[in-house]
Amino acid sequence: MSEFCIKTENLTKRFGNKSALNDFSLSIAKGGIHAIVGSNGAGKSTLFRLLLGIETPTSGYCSLLGEQSHSLSAKLRGKVGYVNEEHTLPDWMKVESVKSLQQSFYPNWNHNIYNQVVAYFDVDPKQKISALSRGERAGFNLSMALAQRPSLLILDEPTLGLDVVARQSFLEALMFAEINNEMTTIFCSHQMEEVERIAEDLIIMEKGRLTNHSSPDDFCARIHYWVADCDALHGKDNQIPGLLSRRIIEGQQHLLIVDQGMKFSKYLHACGAKNITQLPVSFEKAVNAFLTTNHKKPTNQLEQVLC
Amino acid sequence: MIKSSVLKIEIVTGDSRPIFKQIIDGIRLEIGTGRLSAGSKLPSYRGLAMQLMINPNTVAKAYNELSTECLIESKPGLGLFVATKQPQFNEAEQKEKLDKAIDNFINETISLNYSDEIMIGELKDSLKRLKKLKLA
Repeated sequence: MSEFCIKTENLTKRFGNKSALNDFSLSIAKGGIHAIVGSNGAGKSTLFRLLLGIETPTSGYCSLLGEQSHSLSAKLRGKVGYVNEEHTLPDWMKVESVKSLQQSFYPNWNHNIYNQVVAYFDVDPKQKISALSRGERAGFNLSMALAQRPSLLILDEPTLGLDVVARQSFLEALMFAEINNEMTTIFCSHQMEEVERIAEDLIIMEKGRLTNHSSPDDFCARIHYWVADCDALHGKDNQIPGLLSRRIIEGQQHLLIVDQGMKFSKYLHACGAKNITQLPVSFEKAVNAFLTTNHKKPTNQLEQVLC
Repeated sequence: MIKSSVLKIEIVTGDSRPIFKQIIDGIRLEIGTGRLSAGSKLPSYRGLAMQLMINPNTVAKAYNELSTECLIESKPGLGLFVATKQPQFNEAEQKEKLDKAIDNFINETISLNYSDEIMIGELKDSLKRLKKLKLA
């Protein structure tokens, strides 16, 4: 058995002229909660479709739980749980009938897990699906997905549009229900507060490329926030190494910088900057700066600029 | 089974300190103020994670760091406990910690309209209370 839950190598997918995934190589170890973060259109859904063998790659390789995606066995497909933001369910059916139907497809179905997870949400089994609130639908879907005892659970923005209470129940059920400990969870979200609380691994995708794969703490260590008096930086944004964002607040330059470490202060000195200060950066601020920038690998390495 | 102590700590998202660091700071404060005494049992990874609504592995990371610093110790089969012998710092480390604490104190109090005498008096009183609490 492969030690990886997911492995892709140089995976590329083009739709006409547009590439949805570009030379994408990612390995996700088994177990734990992994967050995938990226703007809309970053390629997350394409990645899942390729992994599940729904689409075929233009080039490259991908595998799921050790099997090549284009030839997944039915048995292996049964080990993958999937919950997306739409929480699509047949409106005319009752909760208990949907559950029975779902259960009949999954030989590993576990009643205890179902009951335990569904208890986090106030779902009446006799209710029609159409009468469920958005939060109850989400909870019911999660209960069914976990009762299948999947080896891999994919959650694609599952808490989108849920109120605070429903969101909290969802995260609690996900983290604390006594479920399959071997399960790997992949969680896509735009809610940085959620990601900060639950993820032990942070994957960032932008424009079909992988731009970060590390622990959330190591990611934060890549980003630094500098403040300085330095008029020389005006109009030179494309020359500032690792620049994510530059704002001027009360005449001072506020810079968010990636991958330059503390040496960046030398660069600021070299530009004639005065009153150089480094400020702390929160996880949310770091991710947002990273995502909102049309981020490229810094082309000007600091050493080149300083020479 | 030994009952674990309740930790009076809270974490916030959006803080510049990562969550595991907030836990470490919180537990240090609990131990330092004597609210958590030597030999007390700490909540399990899962228990504290549920209290704080965070991933249990983040709690494990914080506990590991506190174990490395010898502030807490594990007793196989029983759980984690506040170390009975708290780590001793050498002179340089002690001085560094004191300087940092004084900096924090001054930053917080500089804009208040208290005379030096009053602030030093208050500080002395607080230290006295703390010592009494520890002896009790």
